[in-house]
Amino acid sequence: MTVKHPGLRAALLLSPAARTGARLVRSFAERETKALYKRNLLGWLWSLLKPLTTVAVYSLVFGVIYRATAPSTANGQAEVFALYLFSGLVVWNVFNTIVNGSMRWMDGVSELRKKIYFPTETALIGGAAATLLQSSLEALVLVLIMAVLANVSWTLVFLPVAMLLAALFALGLGFAAAIVNARYRDIQHLTTIVLSVGFFMVPIVYTPDIVPERAYGLPVARLVELNPLNSVIAVTRDAVYFLEPPDIADLATAAAWATGVFVAGLAFFRRRSMAISEEP
Amino acid sequence: MPAVEVSDVSKRFRLELNRPTSVKEAVLRFGRRDVRHVWALRDVSLAIEKGSFFGLVGHNGSGKSTLLRLMAGIHRPTSGRITAQGRLSALLELGSGFHPELTGRENVFLNGAMLGLGRRQMAAAMENIIELSGVGDQIDAPVKIYSSGMYMRLGFSVAVNVEPEILLVDEVIAVGDEEFQQRCLQHMESLRSGGTTIVLVSHDTALVRELCDRAGWLDGGCLRSVGDPDEVVDAYLVHVADGGPEPAAGR
Ligand SMILES: Nc1ncnc2c1ncn2[C@@H]1O[C@H](COP(=O)(O)OP(=O)(O)OP(=O)(O)O)[C@@H](O)[C@H]1O
Ligand SMILES: [Mg+2]
Repeated sequence: MTVKHPGLRAALLLSPAARTGARLVRSFAERETKALYKRNLLGWLWSLLKPLTTVAVYSLVFGVIYRATAPSTANGQAEVFALYLFSGLVVWNVFNTIVNGSMRWMDGVSELRKKIYFPTETALIGGAAATLLQSSLEALVLVLIMAVLANVSWTLVFLPVAMLLAALFALGLGFAAAIVNARYRDIQHLTTIVLSVGFFMVPIVYTPDIVPERAYGLPVARLVELNPLNSVIAVTRDAVYFLEPPDIADLATAAAWATGVFVAGLAFFRRRSMAISEEP
Repeated sequence: MPAVEVSDVSKRFRLELNRPTSVKEAVLRFGRRDVRHVWALRDVSLAIEKGSFFGLVGHNGSGKSTLLRLMAGIHRPTSGRITAQGRLSALLELGSGFHPELTGRENVFLNGAMLGLGRRQMAAAMENIIELSGVGDQIDAPVKIYSSGMYMRLGFSVAVNVEPEILLVDEVIAVGDEEFQQRCLQHMESLRSGGTTIVLVSHDTALVRELCDRAGWLDGGCLRSVGDPDEVVDAYLVHVADGGPEPAAGR
Protein backbone atom coordinates (compact mmCIF):
# COMPACT_ATOMS: atom_id res chain seq x y z
CA MET A 1 0.00 0.00 0.00
CA THR A 2 1.33 3.40 -0.84
CA VAL A 3 0.82 6.32 1.45
CA LYS A 4 -0.29 9.26 -0.61
CA HIS A 5 -0.35 11.98 1.99
CA PRO A 6 2.13 11.13 4.70
CA GLY A 7 1.78 14.60 6.22
CA LEU A 8 -1.97 14.33 6.49
CA ARG A 9 -1.81 10.78 7.78
CA ALA A 10 0.70 11.84 10.39
CA ALA A 11 -1.48 14.79 11.40
CA LEU A 12 -4.44 12.47 11.90
CA LEU A 13 -2.25 10.07 13.88
CA LEU A 14 -2.83 7.39 11.29
CA SER A 15 0.78 6.48 10.66
CA PRO A 16 2.39 4.16 13.20
CA ALA A 17 5.23 6.60 13.76
CA ALA A 18 2.80 9.39 14.60
CA ARG A 19 0.89 7.14 16.99
CA THR A 20 4.10 6.13 18.70
CA GLY A 21 5.06 9.78 18.99
CA ALA A 22 1.69 10.66 20.47
CA ARG A 23 1.93 7.86 23.04
CA LEU A 24 5.37 9.01 24.07
CA VAL A 25 4.25 12.62 24.39
CA ARG A 26 1.45 11.42 26.62
CA SER A 27 3.76 9.31 28.79
CA PHE A 28 6.20 12.18 29.28
CA ALA A 29 3.39 14.64 29.98
CA GLU A 30 1.91 12.30 32.57
CA ARG A 31 5.25 11.83 34.21
CA GLU A 32 5.79 15.58 34.47
CA THR A 33 2.30 16.21 35.79
CA LYS A 34 2.64 13.49 38.37
CA ALA A 35 6.01 14.74 39.48
CA LEU A 36 4.50 18.18 40.03
CA TYR A 37 1.32 17.28 41.83
CA LYS A 38 1.67 13.77 43.05
CA ARG A 39 -1.91 13.30 41.96
CA ASN A 40 -3.62 15.24 44.69
CA LEU A 41 -5.76 18.32 44.87
CA LEU A 42 -3.53 20.06 47.36
CA GLY A 43 -0.68 19.69 44.90
CA TRP A 44 -2.68 21.47 42.23
CA LEU A 45 -3.58 24.28 44.60
CA TRP A 46 0.02 24.47 45.67
CA SER A 47 1.01 25.09 42.07
CA LEU A 48 -1.07 28.27 42.14
CA LEU A 49 0.86 29.63 45.04
CA LYS A 50 3.78 30.85 43.00
CA PRO A 51 1.91 32.73 40.28
CA LEU A 52 -0.48 34.26 42.81
CA THR A 53 2.42 35.38 44.98
CA THR A 54 4.05 36.96 41.95
CA VAL A 55 0.84 38.82 41.17
CA ALA A 56 0.57 39.98 44.78
CA VAL A 57 4.16 41.19 44.97
CA TYR A 58 4.18 43.05 41.67
CA SER A 59 0.77 44.56 42.43
CA LEU A 60 2.10 45.80 45.73
CA VAL A 61 5.25 47.29 44.24
CA PHE A 62 3.86 48.74 41.03
CA GLY A 63 0.17 49.14 41.76
CA VAL A 64 0.29 50.31 45.36
CA ILE A 65 3.72 51.84 45.87
CA TYR A 66 4.32 53.28 42.40
CA ARG A 67 0.59 53.81 41.87
CA ALA A 68 0.66 52.39 38.37
CA THR A 69 -2.78 52.40 36.87
CA ALA A 70 -4.18 49.85 34.52
CA PRO A 71 -6.58 50.75 31.73
CA SER A 72 -10.16 49.98 32.59
CA THR A 73 -11.64 46.65 31.70
CA ALA A 74 -14.28 46.26 29.06
CA ASN A 75 -17.19 46.94 31.40
CA GLY A 76 -15.34 49.91 32.82
CA GLN A 77 -15.83 48.68 36.36
CA ALA A 78 -12.52 47.40 37.40
CA GLU A 79 -9.29 49.23 37.12
CA VAL A 80 -7.41 46.58 38.90
CA PHE A 81 -3.73 46.59 38.20
CA ALA A 82 -3.40 43.08 39.61
CA LEU A 83 -5.72 41.66 36.98
CA TYR A 84 -4.03 43.51 34.17
CA LEU A 85 -0.77 42.04 35.41
CA PHE A 86 -2.18 38.57 35.96
CA SER A 87 -3.48 38.34 32.40
CA GLY A 88 -0.01 38.98 31.01
CA LEU A 89 1.65 36.77 33.56
CA VAL A 90 -0.39 33.69 32.66
CA VAL A 91 1.04 33.73 29.17
CA TRP A 92 4.52 34.70 30.29
CA ASN A 93 4.56 31.72 32.66
CA VAL A 94 3.76 29.35 29.82
CA PHE A 95 6.68 30.77 27.88
CA ASN A 96 9.15 30.94 30.74
CA THR A 97 8.39 27.48 32.15
CA ILE A 98 8.71 25.78 28.78
CA VAL A 99 11.99 27.43 27.79
CA ASN A 100 13.57 26.59 31.14
CA GLY A 101 11.90 23.20 31.35
CA SER A 102 13.10 22.07 27.93
CA MET A 103 16.67 21.73 29.14
CA ARG A 104 15.55 19.79 32.19
CA TRP A 105 13.29 17.49 30.16
CA MET A 106 16.14 16.85 27.77
CA ASP A 107 18.50 15.97 30.62
CA GLY A 108 15.87 13.66 32.02
CA VAL A 109 15.92 11.45 28.95
CA SER A 110 19.38 11.84 27.47
CA GLU A 111 20.78 8.81 29.33
CA LEU A 112 17.78 6.81 28.23
CA ARG A 113 18.24 7.91 24.65
CA LYS A 114 21.75 6.45 24.64
CA LYS A 115 20.26 3.02 25.21
CA ILE A 116 17.08 2.98 23.19
CA TYR A 117 15.86 4.86 20.17
CA PHE A 118 12.85 7.12 20.45
CA PRO A 119 12.14 10.54 18.99
CA THR A 120 13.69 12.67 21.72
CA GLU A 121 11.54 15.69 20.91
CA THR A 122 8.56 13.85 22.39
CA ALA A 123 10.02 14.39 25.88
CA LEU A 124 10.06 18.15 25.37
CA ILE A 125 6.65 18.25 23.73
CA GLY A 126 5.29 16.17 26.63
CA GLY A 127 6.79 18.59 29.14
CA ALA A 128 5.26 21.51 27.28
CA ALA A 129 1.88 19.79 27.27
CA ALA A 130 2.09 19.33 31.03
CA THR A 131 3.00 23.00 31.40
CA LEU A 132 -0.01 24.03 29.35
CA LEU A 133 -2.19 21.90 31.57
CA GLN A 134 -0.85 23.57 34.68
CA SER A 135 -1.22 27.02 33.15
CA SER A 136 -4.82 26.34 32.25
CA LEU A 137 -5.44 26.19 35.97
CA GLU A 138 -3.96 29.67 36.37
CA ALA A 139 -6.00 30.81 33.38
CA LEU A 140 -9.11 29.35 34.98
CA VAL A 141 -8.51 31.30 38.18
CA LEU A 142 -8.07 34.47 36.13
CA VAL A 143 -11.29 33.86 34.21
CA LEU A 144 -13.19 33.08 37.43
CA ILE A 145 -12.10 36.37 38.96
CA MET A 146 -13.11 38.14 35.76
CA ALA A 147 -16.47 36.36 35.93
CA VAL A 148 -17.02 37.64 39.45
CA LEU A 149 -16.36 41.14 38.14
CA ALA A 150 -18.78 40.43 35.27
CA ASN A 151 -16.02 41.01 32.76
CA VAL A 152 -16.31 38.04 30.44
CA SER A 153 -17.23 37.59 26.81
CA TRP A 154 -16.86 35.24 23.86
CA THR A 155 -13.42 36.74 23.20
CA LEU A 156 -12.12 34.42 25.93
CA VAL A 157 -11.69 31.77 23.23
CA PHE A 158 -8.54 33.62 22.21
CA LEU A 159 -6.92 33.03 25.59
CA PRO A 160 -6.11 29.35 24.88
CA VAL A 161 -4.99 30.42 21.41
CA ALA A 162 -2.52 32.88 22.90
CA MET A 163 -1.29 30.28 25.38
CA LEU A 164 -0.77 27.78 22.61
CA LEU A 165 1.16 30.30 20.52
CA ALA A 166 3.34 31.17 23.52
CA ALA A 167 3.97 27.44 24.03
CA LEU A 168 4.97 26.86 20.41
CA PHE A 169 7.27 29.85 20.44
CA ALA A 170 8.83 28.69 23.72
CA LEU A 171 9.25 25.12 22.49
CA GLY A 172 11.08 26.33 19.40
CA LEU A 173 13.54 28.21 21.59
CA GLY A 174 13.58 25.34 24.10
CA PHE A 175 14.56 22.82 21.42
CA ALA A 176 17.59 24.90 20.55
CA ALA A 177 18.50 25.61 24.18
CA ALA A 178 18.23 21.92 25.10
CA ILE A 179 20.64 20.85 22.37
CA VAL A 180 23.21 23.50 23.22
CA ASN A 181 22.83 22.92 26.95
CA ALA A 182 23.50 19.23 26.49
CA ARG A 183 27.08 20.19 25.60
CA TYR A 184 27.61 23.48 27.36
CA ARG A 185 26.10 23.19 30.79
CA ASP A 186 26.12 26.89 31.63
CA ILE A 187 23.52 27.64 28.95
CA GLN A 188 20.77 26.96 31.50
CA HIS A 189 22.10 29.70 33.75
CA LEU A 190 22.52 32.12 30.86
CA THR A 191 18.96 31.34 29.77
CA THR A 192 17.62 32.18 33.22
CA ILE A 193 19.38 35.53 33.07
CA VAL A 194 18.16 36.31 29.56
CA LEU A 195 14.61 35.37 30.52
CA SER A 196 14.60 37.54 33.61
CA VAL A 197 15.67 40.50 31.47
CA GLY A 198 13.13 39.46 28.82
CA PHE A 199 10.34 39.64 31.38
CA PHE A 200 10.77 43.39 31.63
CA MET A 201 11.04 43.80 27.87
CA VAL A 202 7.42 42.79 27.51
CA PRO A 203 4.56 44.95 28.75
CA ILE A 204 3.48 42.78 31.65
CA VAL A 205 4.14 44.93 34.70
CA TYR A 206 3.57 48.11 32.71
CA THR A 207 1.25 49.27 29.95
CA PRO A 208 2.69 49.70 26.45
CA ASP A 209 1.65 53.37 26.31
CA ILE A 210 3.92 54.53 29.14
CA VAL A 211 7.06 53.31 27.34
CA PRO A 212 9.11 56.32 26.20
CA GLU A 213 9.83 56.67 22.50
CA ARG A 214 13.57 56.90 23.10
CA ALA A 215 15.78 56.55 26.13
CA TYR A 216 19.58 56.61 26.30
CA GLY A 217 19.57 56.86 22.50
CA LEU A 218 17.69 53.58 22.16
CA PRO A 219 14.31 53.36 20.46
CA VAL A 220 12.80 51.67 23.50
CA ALA A 221 9.17 51.75 22.41
CA ARG A 222 10.08 50.19 19.10
CA LEU A 223 12.11 47.45 20.81
CA VAL A 224 9.25 46.55 23.11
CA GLU A 225 6.88 46.60 20.17
CA LEU A 226 9.10 44.34 18.08
CA ASN A 227 9.44 41.76 20.82
CA PRO A 228 7.57 38.74 19.44
CA LEU A 229 6.00 38.02 22.81
CA ASN A 230 4.49 41.48 22.83
CA SER A 231 1.89 40.50 20.25
CA VAL A 232 1.03 37.31 22.16
CA ILE A 233 0.51 39.38 25.30
CA ALA A 234 -1.57 41.87 23.34
CA VAL A 235 -3.82 39.08 22.07
CA THR A 236 -4.22 37.84 25.65
CA ARG A 237 -5.10 41.27 27.01
CA ASP A 238 -7.68 41.81 24.31
CA ALA A 239 -9.18 38.41 25.01
CA VAL A 240 -9.53 38.56 28.79
CA TYR A 241 -9.17 42.17 29.82
CA PHE A 242 -10.57 44.44 27.12
CA LEU A 243 -12.85 41.73 25.76
CA GLU A 244 -12.19 42.72 22.20
CA PRO A 245 -11.43 40.40 19.32
CA PRO A 246 -7.68 40.42 18.77
CA ASP A 247 -6.04 42.82 16.42
CA ILE A 248 -5.48 40.83 13.23
CA ALA A 249 -1.95 42.19 12.90
CA ASP A 250 -1.10 41.06 16.45
CA LEU A 251 -2.57 37.64 15.88
CA ALA A 252 -0.78 37.21 12.56
CA THR A 253 2.56 38.35 14.00
CA ALA A 254 2.21 36.06 16.98
CA ALA A 255 1.23 33.09 14.84
CA ALA A 256 4.01 33.69 12.35
CA TRP A 257 6.68 33.94 15.03
CA ALA A 258 5.36 30.97 16.95
CA THR A 259 5.20 28.62 13.98
CA GLY A 260 8.42 29.91 12.44
CA VAL A 261 10.44 29.50 15.63
CA PHE A 262 8.82 26.16 16.41
CA VAL A 263 9.53 24.70 12.97
CA ALA A 264 13.11 25.99 12.92
CA GLY A 265 13.76 24.78 16.47
CA LEU A 266 12.35 21.35 15.77
CA ALA A 267 14.41 21.00 12.58
CA PHE A 268 17.58 21.96 14.46
CA PHE A 269 16.71 19.59 17.29
CA ARG A 270 16.06 16.67 14.95
CA ARG A 271 19.31 17.24 13.13
CA ARG A 272 21.40 17.46 16.27
CA SER A 273 19.73 15.18 18.79
CA MET A 274 21.15 12.07 17.12
CA ALA A 275 24.66 13.19 18.07
CA ILE A 276 23.64 13.48 21.72
CA SER A 277 23.27 9.69 21.81
CA GLU A 278 26.98 9.37 21.03
CA GLU A 279 28.21 11.64 23.77
CA PRO A 280 30.22 9.63 26.26
CA MET B 1 13.89 -9.83 1.97
CA PRO B 2 16.29 -9.99 4.95
CA ALA B 3 15.07 -8.78 8.34
CA VAL B 4 18.19 -6.73 8.89
CA GLU B 5 20.31 -5.47 6.05
CA VAL B 6 23.62 -3.73 6.65
CA SER B 7 25.24 -2.32 3.54
CA ASP B 8 28.73 -0.81 3.51
CA VAL B 9 28.29 0.58 6.98
CA SER B 10 31.07 2.54 8.63
CA LYS B 11 30.83 4.30 11.95
CA ARG B 12 33.20 6.93 13.15
CA PHE B 13 32.93 8.33 16.65
CA ARG B 14 34.15 11.74 17.50
CA LEU B 15 36.17 11.67 20.64
CA GLU B 16 37.20 14.89 22.26
CA LEU B 17 39.61 14.69 25.13
CA ASN B 18 38.95 17.24 27.85
CA ARG B 19 35.92 18.48 26.03
CA PRO B 20 34.82 21.87 27.33
CA THR B 21 31.56 21.47 29.19
CA SER B 22 30.59 25.11 29.41
CA VAL B 23 30.60 28.12 27.14
CA LYS B 24 33.08 29.74 29.49
CA GLU B 25 35.55 26.88 29.11
CA ALA B 26 35.03 26.71 25.37
CA VAL B 27 35.85 30.38 25.02
CA LEU B 28 38.90 30.12 27.26
CA ARG B 29 40.17 27.11 25.39
CA PHE B 30 39.31 28.47 21.97
CA GLY B 31 41.50 26.98 19.25
CA ARG B 32 43.16 24.44 21.51
CA ARG B 33 40.99 21.43 21.33
CA ASP B 34 41.99 17.83 21.10
CA VAL B 35 39.54 16.09 18.80
CA ARG B 36 40.12 12.54 17.67
CA HIS B 37 38.11 10.09 15.70
CA VAL B 38 37.60 6.42 16.33
CA TRP B 39 36.45 4.13 13.55
CA ALA B 40 34.29 1.60 15.35
CA LEU B 41 33.11 -0.07 12.13
CA ARG B 42 34.46 -0.10 8.62
CA ASP B 43 32.58 -1.16 5.50
CA VAL B 44 30.49 -3.80 7.16
CA SER B 45 27.96 -5.54 4.92
CA LEU B 46 25.66 -8.17 6.26
CA ALA B 47 22.20 -9.57 5.60
CA ILE B 48 20.35 -11.36 8.37
CA GLU B 49 17.49 -13.46 7.08
CA LYS B 50 14.04 -13.38 8.63
CA GLY B 51 13.63 -15.96 11.35
CA SER B 52 17.32 -16.73 11.68
CA PHE B 53 19.47 -16.69 14.80
CA PHE B 54 22.63 -14.73 14.18
CA GLY B 55 25.64 -14.72 16.50
CA LEU B 56 28.27 -12.02 16.65
CA VAL B 57 31.70 -12.66 18.14
CA GLY B 58 34.88 -10.63 18.44
CA HIS B 59 37.37 -9.12 20.84
CA ASN B 60 36.55 -6.36 23.28
CA GLY B 61 36.27 -3.11 21.39
CA SER B 62 35.81 -4.77 18.00
CA GLY B 63 32.55 -2.94 17.33
CA LYS B 64 29.89 -5.53 18.21
CA SER B 65 27.85 -3.29 20.48
CA THR B 66 28.20 -0.44 18.02
CA LEU B 67 26.76 -2.60 15.26
CA LEU B 68 23.78 -3.54 17.42
CA ARG B 69 23.19 0.09 18.36
CA LEU B 70 23.17 1.03 14.70
CA MET B 71 20.66 -1.74 14.00
CA ALA B 72 18.50 -0.44 16.85
CA GLY B 73 18.61 3.08 15.38
CA ILE B 74 20.34 4.56 18.43
CA HIS B 75 23.22 5.92 16.37
CA ARG B 76 23.26 6.81 12.72
CA PRO B 77 25.95 5.27 10.49
CA THR B 78 28.67 7.62 9.28
CA SER B 79 28.28 6.06 5.85
CA GLY B 80 26.30 3.19 4.41
CA ARG B 81 22.77 2.08 5.11
CA ILE B 82 21.02 -0.05 7.68
CA THR B 83 17.47 -1.25 7.34
CA ALA B 84 15.51 -3.31 9.83
CA GLN B 85 12.09 -4.62 8.89
CA GLY B 86 9.57 -5.07 11.67
CA ARG B 87 9.16 -4.34 15.35
CA LEU B 88 12.58 -4.27 16.89
CA SER B 89 13.28 -4.83 20.53
CA ALA B 90 16.79 -4.53 21.89
CA LEU B 91 18.56 -5.51 25.07
CA LEU B 92 21.78 -3.60 24.99
CA GLU B 93 23.96 -3.75 28.04
CA LEU B 94 22.60 -3.10 31.46
CA GLY B 95 19.44 -1.17 32.09
CA SER B 96 18.52 -0.86 28.48
CA GLY B 97 15.94 1.78 28.02
CA PHE B 98 14.79 2.40 31.58
CA HIS B 99 14.24 5.78 33.08
CA PRO B 100 15.77 5.56 36.57
CA GLU B 101 13.22 7.84 38.22
CA LEU B 102 10.19 5.92 36.98
CA THR B 103 8.83 2.79 38.59
CA GLY B 104 9.20 -0.57 36.92
CA ARG B 105 5.59 -0.52 35.84
CA GLU B 106 5.80 2.99 34.37
CA ASN B 107 8.94 1.98 32.54
CA VAL B 108 7.17 -1.00 31.05
CA PHE B 109 4.52 1.32 29.61
CA LEU B 110 7.13 3.80 28.42
CA ASN B 111 9.11 1.02 26.75
CA GLY B 112 5.95 -0.25 25.14
CA ALA B 113 5.21 3.21 23.78
CA MET B 114 8.72 3.37 22.32
CA LEU B 115 8.15 0.07 20.59
CA GLY B 116 4.84 1.23 19.20
CA LEU B 117 2.54 -0.60 21.61
CA GLY B 118 -0.40 1.05 23.30
CA ARG B 119 -1.26 1.00 26.99
CA ARG B 120 -3.91 -1.65 26.53
CA GLN B 121 -1.49 -4.02 24.84
CA MET B 122 1.12 -3.44 27.52
CA ALA B 123 -1.42 -3.87 30.30
CA ALA B 124 -2.33 -7.23 28.79
CA ALA B 125 1.32 -8.28 28.78
CA MET B 126 2.03 -6.85 32.23
CA GLU B 127 1.30 -9.98 34.22
CA ASN B 128 3.65 -12.09 32.12
CA ILE B 129 6.32 -9.43 32.31
CA ILE B 130 6.18 -9.21 36.09
CA GLU B 131 6.12 -12.98 36.39
CA LEU B 132 9.14 -13.56 34.17
CA SER B 133 11.14 -10.69 35.67
CA GLY B 134 10.61 -11.97 39.20
CA VAL B 135 10.78 -8.44 40.62
CA GLY B 136 7.47 -9.00 42.42
CA ASP B 137 6.17 -6.09 44.46
CA GLN B 138 9.13 -3.95 43.54
CA ILE B 139 7.53 -3.42 40.16
CA ASP B 140 6.05 -0.27 41.71
CA ALA B 141 9.36 1.00 43.05
CA PRO B 142 11.60 3.28 41.01
CA VAL B 143 14.01 1.18 38.94
CA LYS B 144 17.01 3.09 40.27
CA ILE B 145 16.79 1.00 43.44
CA TYR B 146 16.87 -2.28 41.50
CA SER B 147 19.86 -4.59 41.67
CA SER B 148 21.71 -5.03 38.38
CA GLY B 149 20.18 -8.47 38.02
CA MET B 150 16.65 -7.15 38.54
CA TYR B 151 17.25 -4.34 36.10
CA MET B 152 18.34 -6.75 33.47
CA ARG B 153 15.61 -9.28 34.19
CA LEU B 154 12.91 -6.67 33.82
CA GLY B 155 14.53 -5.43 30.61
CA PHE B 156 14.62 -8.93 29.23
CA SER B 157 11.04 -9.63 30.25
CA VAL B 158 9.82 -6.56 28.42
CA ALA B 159 11.92 -7.31 25.36
CA VAL B 160 10.59 -10.82 24.91
CA ASN B 161 6.99 -10.06 25.86
CA VAL B 162 6.34 -7.38 23.27
CA GLU B 163 6.27 -9.95 20.47
CA PRO B 164 9.31 -8.57 18.72
CA GLU B 165 9.96 -9.40 15.10
CA ILE B 166 13.63 -8.67 15.63
CA LEU B 167 15.40 -9.11 18.95
CA LEU B 168 18.89 -7.77 19.57
CA VAL B 169 20.68 -9.12 22.62
CA ASP B 170 24.06 -7.80 23.71
CA GLU B 171 25.81 -9.91 26.31
CA VAL B 172 23.25 -9.22 29.00
CA ILE B 173 22.16 -12.66 30.05
CA ALA B 174 25.52 -13.15 31.73
CA VAL B 175 24.40 -10.89 34.59
CA GLY B 176 21.47 -13.13 35.57
CA ASP B 177 21.67 -16.11 37.85
CA GLU B 178 21.78 -19.68 36.53
CA GLU B 179 18.01 -20.14 36.68
CA PHE B 180 17.37 -16.92 34.82
CA GLN B 181 19.92 -17.72 32.13
CA GLN B 182 18.10 -20.96 31.47
CA ARG B 183 14.79 -19.16 31.18
CA CYS B 184 16.32 -16.62 28.82
CA LEU B 185 17.54 -19.35 26.54
CA GLN B 186 14.14 -21.02 26.59
CA HIS B 187 12.48 -17.74 25.72
CA MET B 188 14.83 -17.04 22.87
CA GLU B 189 14.23 -20.53 21.55
CA SER B 190 10.48 -20.10 21.66
CA LEU B 191 10.71 -16.67 20.01
CA ARG B 192 12.86 -18.18 17.31
CA SER B 193 10.37 -20.93 16.63
CA GLY B 194 7.72 -18.24 16.44
CA GLY B 195 9.65 -16.63 13.59
CA THR B 196 11.53 -13.87 15.44
CA THR B 197 14.90 -12.89 14.02
CA ILE B 198 17.49 -12.84 16.79
CA VAL B 199 20.92 -11.24 16.82
CA LEU B 200 23.05 -12.25 19.79
CA VAL B 201 26.42 -10.84 20.81
CA SER B 202 28.25 -13.22 23.05
CA HIS B 203 31.70 -14.07 24.30
CA ASP B 204 30.40 -17.55 25.04
CA THR B 205 31.53 -19.27 21.85
CA ALA B 206 29.99 -22.60 22.87
CA LEU B 207 26.61 -20.88 23.14
CA VAL B 208 27.02 -19.34 19.71
CA ARG B 209 27.87 -22.74 18.19
CA GLU B 210 24.86 -24.30 19.86
CA LEU B 211 22.19 -21.68 19.21
CA CYS B 212 23.04 -19.82 16.06
CA ASP B 213 22.24 -20.60 12.44
CA ARG B 214 24.85 -18.15 11.29
CA ALA B 215 27.59 -16.12 12.87
CA GLY B 216 29.86 -13.19 12.13
CA TRP B 217 33.26 -12.24 13.50
CA LEU B 218 34.17 -8.61 13.94
CA ASP B 219 37.79 -7.66 14.28
CA GLY B 220 38.89 -4.06 14.71
CA GLY B 221 35.64 -2.85 13.16
CA CYS B 222 35.89 -5.07 10.08
CA LEU B 223 33.75 -8.11 9.46
CA ARG B 224 36.40 -10.80 9.12
CA SER B 225 34.11 -13.67 8.29
CA VAL B 226 30.49 -14.58 8.23
CA GLY B 227 28.79 -17.92 7.74
CA ASP B 228 28.48 -21.24 9.52
CA PRO B 229 28.87 -20.66 13.29
CA ASP B 230 31.34 -23.52 13.74
CA GLU B 231 33.63 -22.22 11.02
CA VAL B 232 33.41 -18.61 12.14
CA VAL B 233 34.02 -19.45 15.79
CA ASP B 234 36.93 -21.74 14.86
CA ALA B 235 38.53 -19.02 12.78
CA TYR B 236 38.05 -16.54 15.62
CA LEU B 237 39.56 -18.92 18.19
CA VAL B 238 42.55 -19.63 15.95
CA HIS B 239 43.09 -15.91 15.70
CA VAL B 240 42.83 -15.55 19.48
CA ALA B 241 45.41 -18.33 19.94
CA ASP B 242 47.66 -16.59 17.39
CA GLY B 243 47.98 -13.49 19.48
CA GLY B 244 44.78 -11.51 19.68
CA PRO B 245 43.19 -8.54 18.05
CA GLU B 246 44.30 -6.08 15.45
CA PRO B 247 45.82 -3.00 16.99
CA ALA B 248 43.14 -0.55 18.11
CA ALA B 249 40.94 1.02 15.46
CA GLY B 250 42.89 3.82 13.81
CA ARG B 251 42.30 7.47 13.37
N1 LIG C 1 29.94 6.69 22.04
C1 LIG C 1 31.22 6.43 21.70
N2 LIG C 1 32.10 7.44 21.56
C2 LIG C 1 33.37 7.21 21.19
N3 LIG C 1 33.87 5.99 20.94
C3 LIG C 1 33.04 4.93 21.06
C4 LIG C 1 31.67 5.09 21.45
N4 LIG C 1 31.09 3.87 21.49
C5 LIG C 1 32.05 2.98 21.15
N5 LIG C 1 33.22 3.61 20.89
C6 LIG C 1 34.46 2.97 20.46
O1 LIG C 1 34.17 2.10 19.38
C7 LIG C 1 34.93 0.90 19.50
C8 LIG C 1 34.00 -0.30 19.48
O2 LIG C 1 33.25 -0.34 20.68
P1 LIG C 1 32.10 -1.41 20.96
O3 LIG C 1 31.44 -1.04 22.23
O4 LIG C 1 31.26 -1.53 19.77
O5 LIG C 1 32.95 -2.76 21.17
P2 LIG C 1 32.44 -4.22 21.53
O6 LIG C 1 32.82 -5.09 20.40
O7 LIG C 1 31.02 -4.20 21.91
O8 LIG C 1 33.33 -4.57 22.79
P3 LIG C 1 32.97 -5.47 24.10
O9 LIG C 1 33.19 -6.88 23.72
O10 LIG C 1 33.97 -5.01 25.10
O11 LIG C 1 31.57 -5.17 24.50
C9 LIG C 1 35.75 1.02 20.77
O12 LIG C 1 37.03 1.45 20.39
C10 LIG C 1 35.06 2.10 21.54
O13 LIG C 1 35.95 2.84 22.32
MG1 LIG D 1 29.99 -4.49 23.79
